[in-house]
Amino acid sequence: MRRSQLYLLALGLLIALIVSSCAPAAPAAPAPAEGGAAPAAAQPAAAAPAEAATTLVYATDTSDLISLDPAVVYEFTGVLIAENIYDTLVKFEGDNLSELKPSLAEHWEIAADGDMWKITFHLDPDARFASGNPVTAADVVYSFSRVLDLNKSPAFLLADIPQLKKENMTAVDERTVELKIPNTASPQALLSILTFSVGGIVEKAVVEQHVEGDDLGSTWLRDHSAGSAPYVLERWEPEQQVVLTANPNYWGPAPKLSQIIIRHIAESSNQQFALESGDIDVARNLTPEQVEALSNNPDITIYRANTLLLIYVGMNVKQEPLDKPQVREAIRWAIDYKAIVDNLLRGGAKVHQTIIPEGLFGAVDNNPFQKDVEKAKALLAEAGVPDGFSIEMLIPTGPAPGGTDWSNIAAAIQSDLAAVGIQVTIKQTTQAELLNIYRAQSGQLVLILWGPDFPDPDGNVGPFTDYSQRVIAFRNNWDNPELAARARAAALEADPTKRSALYAELIETVLHEGPYAVLYQPGVVFGLRKNVQGLLWNPMGTIEFANVSK
Amino acid sequence: MKFGRFVLRRLIGIFFVLLGVTLATFTLAHVIPADPIAAALGPNAREAQIEQMRREYGLDRPLPEQYLRYLSHLVRGDLGRSIRTRRPVADDLRDFFPATLELSLAALAIALLLGVPAGVLAAVRKDSLIDHATRLFALLGGSLPIFWLGLVLIGIFYSKLRLMPGPGRIDQFVEPPLRLTGLYVIDSLASGNWAALRSSLAHLVLPAITLGWYSTAVIARMTRATMLEEMGKDYLRTARAKGLAERSVVVGHALRNAWIPTITVIGLAFGSLLSGAVLTETVFGWPGLGRYATAAAVSLDFPAVMGVTLLAATVYPLVNLAVDLIYHYLDPRVRLG
Repeated sequence: MRRSQLYLLALGLLIALIVSSCAPAAPAAPAPAEGGAAPAAAQPAAAAPAEAATTLVYATDTSDLISLDPAVVYEFTGVLIAENIYDTLVKFEGDNLSELKPSLAEHWEIAADGDMWKITFHLDPDARFASGNPVTAADVVYSFSRVLDLNKSPAFLLADIPQLKKENMTAVDERTVELKIPNTASPQALLSILTFSVGGIVEKAVVEQHVEGDDLGSTWLRDHSAGSAPYVLERWEPEQQVVLTANPNYWGPAPKLSQIIIRHIAESSNQQFALESGDIDVARNLTPEQVEALSNNPDITIYRANTLLLIYVGMNVKQEPLDKPQVREAIRWAIDYKAIVDNLLRGGAKVHQTIIPEGLFGAVDNNPFQKDVEKAKALLAEAGVPDGFSIEMLIPTGPAPGGTDWSNIAAAIQSDLAAVGIQVTIKQTTQAELLNIYRAQSGQLVLILWGPDFPDPDGNVGPFTDYSQRVIAFRNNWDNPELAARARAAALEADPTKRSALYAELIETVLHEGPYAVLYQPGVVFGLRKNVQGLLWNPMGTIEFANVSK
Repeated sequence: MKFGRFVLRRLIGIFFVLLGVTLATFTLAHVIPADPIAAALGPNAREAQIEQMRREYGLDRPLPEQYLRYLSHLVRGDLGRSIRTRRPVADDLRDFFPATLELSLAALAIALLLGVPAGVLAAVRKDSLIDHATRLFALLGGSLPIFWLGLVLIGIFYSKLRLMPGPGRIDQFVEPPLRLTGLYVIDSLASGNWAALRSSLAHLVLPAITLGWYSTAVIARMTRATMLEEMGKDYLRTARAKGLAERSVVVGHALRNAWIPTITVIGLAFGSLLSGAVLTETVFGWPGLGRYATAAAVSLDFPAVMGVTLLAATVYPLVNLAVDLIYHYLDPRVRLG
């Protein structure tokens, strides 16, 4: 009967399609030893090697991507990409966060002006947008005004921290920009903020062509670029990849690679497979086990870098007996920090106990606490709770930075605290629910993370000490106006020597009096194909792809 | 006409189902105590930002008002804006649903083209090697977790043998075809983009096998059982007695009648394919609705969750309707209504 023939035909067709579609993959796949030039499967063999040799394929979990508009991005992937398509006035180079370098601004001055600071930027006369037009002071003022007007996630970095207002931004002439901020705000903080994606300069004329209603062009800028950086945005295929190509009109030294593909691979095992096969050049999200396995592979280099994150336990001082400083100190002496870092994170983090992470100005190597059961018990006795107490600890679900799950860290703390008589009940919720409780000041112990919003010690010390900022000190009900005033003074101190002395004292006070047990500072680990050179991770979460070659 | 009235009645039914679904999902999404805005903005967000975004999404209004507003937007085709991606949900669905549909259709094609012949062969050669092999295959299909199966297939065919491409819908160096339907295979055929066609077909193979295996097994078992039942009936003896070739007896008579229960299974299988796609998409980095739905649920992005639920609640009854119509076509004794 005819129907059966139709069947056979369809089956045959399917098999033929499958066979034909994978046939070219086999001959085109070279042995792994040939290195990163491996053409991807199912790719016309002739086209791939040339393209692959000048392309960097960077695999990461891009599911956080919501926009590439510098006035909107505040997510890891978005910031990483935006900083490669938009230049900023000033920048930090490589992984150095202590020395500001010129970028669009050749030089700049800070001067007192009544009760304001006046910061004057002089633009580089060579600076050009990808369109070929010069970068002008009007573009700078337009870019910062967009951030304030759109008022999206990163806007507080300009509006709240340095208290920048639209009326205090002036294009003095074609190449001179003046910003004024109140003298209670820190010009240093403003400069560090301007290195970040929120300080990215967009081309006014281009953006204005694409304004829809009151969106200030952000619908268009979501997946188009109008910057002056070494790369321009070629396309964004949602949940698949973002493709950057070299900016043909770039005003600085030409980038070494002509194309950067930020590829969305969420599963770490798939990242490992793709790295081993040479389909990708960089794997961003490898587990400690995978790193161990890959470190024996001659085609792969393991690159470890720093973050500015801190993983800590917050202690609500309105919850008895956490109101007693001795109890908080006892908890700090009860925890086995080294065991968490060595046994659970296996090289993915280091012990860090103060509120300024390594890599920021003012950080010190001051880690006095280690597991000491006797000392902790003595402190509890001193506080009047010699037999310990019961308490609840909120923890998020999923993996913690550094390479293990939050639940494993929590279990380690639970058993450490049990040894001194403190019975911890672990309550695991989604991070969103946890933050709800934490923000409402209703937590008891809370295991969570913090990363500074801008690379200045004030990005940590303010939130950790100043109740009125309504961030971390607030969430733990720790109101210490005297300390907050000292933190503000340190933020404004212009003399670096004095400033670091002020921070050292602050750190010491918070270390013993504060409501925190800071556990560790996680690192990041990358798997790279051997031929990838010049990749440097900036702890603020960016990579200058223009310096990468292969 | 009877046929038209039947379809109309079913479509009206679907409308009420959808209304119920919106109410149920909306209620469920809002009894969760956690705050989606806090989830979207992360631990560093300041109170003022959270307040502002809550106002933007209308979350500061009373629940009944929020629901009515949602409905009034819905009838205008506006599914709201996703809290996680900050885009209109309709745009997100348009981007991600075709990927899932393509994967499910490919899995269904595999299930049909392998499952039905395997079932027929197993029935005709009952207790033979083929029958046992089919049974083993079905047993495996029913018991292998999709997640594990997918990882093993990737491990063998991509990582070790380099026969198949890795995760994703299309090769990283191949530009996706111009969008027409969103199904890459169709779109690349339509635009004559052979590189894209080859690449997207190759990328479909492993995930479609992973997703389709279970359905293949179910369809094979079902076909075998109903075939065996039919084969014992008198009309087959008559057919054989009047001298028909065995092949015509099996395919033309027995299979034709064995179809009906199999169609039911296929309808159900399509539903399970859509839900199985969640895991398959995760393993294979497939940019589809399953992953979108998971991410939406995790981040409490209820406009997106509502959108996905509504879409699923529309597709399901439509597939059921199609199955009923196919019944009627195959066996006119099956009455519509």
